[in-house]
Amino acid sequence: MADTVHNTLDPQLNRRGFLKGCTMAAAALGLSETMIPKLVEAAAAAERPRVVWLHFQECTGCTESLLRASHPDLAHLILDVISLDYHETVMAAAGHQAEEILQKTVTEHAGKFILVIEGAIPTKDGGIYCKVGGKTAMDTLAEIGPKAAAIIAIGTCATFGGVQAASPNPTGAVGVMDLISGVPVVNIPGCPPNPMSFLGTVLHYLTFKRLPAMDSLNRPLFAYGRRIHDHCERRPHFDEGRFVEQFGDEFHKAGYCLYKVGCKGPETFSNCPAVRFNDVDVWPVSVGHGCVGCTEPNFWDTMTPFYDRLPMVKIPGTGIIADADSVGTKVLGVTAAAIGIHAAVGIGKRLIKGKGNE
Amino acid sequence: MYEKHPCWSILLRLFHWMFALSIVVLVVTGFYVNSPWTNTMLESSQSWPMAWMRYLHFVAGYVFSAAIIIRLFLYIFGNQQERIWDILPVTRRNLRNLWKTLLHYSYIKEAGQHDRLGHNVLAGLTYIVTVFAAIVQICSGFYMLYPEAAFWEGWGVAIFGNQQSSRYIHHLLMWWFIIFAMIHVYMCIWNDVKRPEGVISSIFTGDKFTHTKA
Ligand code: HEM
Ligand code: SF4
Repeated sequence: MADTVHNTLDPQLNRRGFLKGCTMAAAALGLSETMIPKLVEAAAAAERPRVVWLHFQECTGCTESLLRASHPDLAHLILDVISLDYHETVMAAAGHQAEEILQKTVTEHAGKFILVIEGAIPTKDGGIYCKVGGKTAMDTLAEIGPKAAAIIAIGTCATFGGVQAASPNPTGAVGVMDLISGVPVVNIPGCPPNPMSFLGTVLHYLTFKRLPAMDSLNRPLFAYGRRIHDHCERRPHFDEGRFVEQFGDEFHKAGYCLYKVGCKGPETFSNCPAVRFNDVDVWPVSVGHGCVGCTEPNFWDTMTPFYDRLPMVKIPGTGIIADADSVGTKVLGVTAAAIGIHAAVGIGKRLIKGKGNE
Repeated sequence: MYEKHPCWSILLRLFHWMFALSIVVLVVTGFYVNSPWTNTMLESSQSWPMAWMRYLHFVAGYVFSAAIIIRLFLYIFGNQQERIWDILPVTRRNLRNLWKTLLHYSYIKEAGQHDRLGHNVLAGLTYIVTVFAAIVQICSGFYMLYPEAAFWEGWGVAIFGNQQSSRYIHHLLMWWFIIFAMIHVYMCIWNDVKRPEGVISSIFTGDKFTHTKA
């Protein structure tokens, strides 16, 4: 990237950066290069879609990763192709002024604006665990959600509830799709998701006037259609049986597969190995840490322990937490003992009574 | 005097051995897939232990699935011993057999001559449970095997939630098959000792024997 210094120092998006961003998005979408001009045209159109961005139960990490992309073009491009009318983190307005803008956009552009939700929605006790401007997240979503043309749920919290929804889910947190029906919802899960997956979705919508093809969890297939494991650069080590046994061992230094230290790549759908992060071409597995499965529903409950292959078996009411195989081995042992006793009783009876005459 | 009766059709015996042998392969390769116990530092070794074990697992998985299809077919279209109505504890005859078998197996009251040629109802019920477990095993297996097929993706998410949960259930259910196999083999030997009807040989030859008072 010869132009990094220039680009980093230049706060404005130049034409070159604009085209570059569109091209990257086209590649992420799997479009042919002949489609790039169409994408550029759509992105440069005078009428930019209005976007309202609401923050609920979250850490703002998704916004951070999106707008602080190390490569500024991407952030600029995102801010350039959409008209971000309301965004609690980046807007200049505050207080009543901000609320006014929100109301204005929602009423004047009803049925046309895009609603982006970041964060889960707590539903327990009337939703009191998340309030913005005196209103619960539940009420705000119920009021604004149905007026949107489409809703983009960004991040694992807004899609599947995220860490707040982890068992025992004290605030009853849920994702957008559990509360909204009648308005198309696109899920861009990830903790945080790749900015490219968000940008690709928006550009697809602008160019083709419809949402991208999605899987049964409403995740766009261009970004979540394939498992990490199936295009991971460490996959040859997996197939050829070369595994990291422990972090820091000689196998780890040699860059082998992280399967045995709990990598969840085989269970996780995402484009991380292909699109990568931060424009320095890295993603967790490339720097030696297994995938934790952050784009999957309930990942805090089902992907943990992060450094083991499978979740623990919890036997309710007993406080017993053990791994599946030690539970299995114990049950097998008890069964073997029961068989032994059964056989012994049979033999004992026969010795006492003599062979039964039927 | 013993009288010979044909009991199990060739198809049922085929099912049985496809099922039994595929389970052995699936359990061994399944353990390997969970935790590949070999490791190597050979680069470009021209050997693919993990790929091979998974391949064997998938081949055995298909044999296993075919076996289950055969069994389901026989539950409906098989001979009298093979049909599901011979086992389901909903008729008086089957309920009585279930009760008698329980007493017999717990040495409380030895049952005399069998009132039927096929499975006793207790055994038949554990087979039904096993067939059900096998169907779940097949669903979770194919969901993991075809991650990009919309059909399996849709059903997999609906049943299991995500791939990790399906893998977890797949793994836990493996233990049912191991434990079932152990009890099954023991009970067959036990029955063979107790009653000279030839349960064990019946799954090879298809014939069972009844004792007639001469
Ligand atoms: C009795 C029947 C079966 C047993 C005992 C069994 C056992 C296992 C075990 C223990 C695993 C490893 C899971 C883990 O990570 O802990 C596994 C993985 C798997 N099994 Fe099975 N399995 C059975 C049937 C099937 C069937 C019918 C299929 C369908 C073709 C299948 C497909 C798979 C697949 C795709 C995986 C994941 C492999 C990978 O991603 O590397 N299994 N099985
Ligand atoms: S590091 Fe993870 S995703 Fe990559 S091949 Fe190994 S198990 Fe699969």
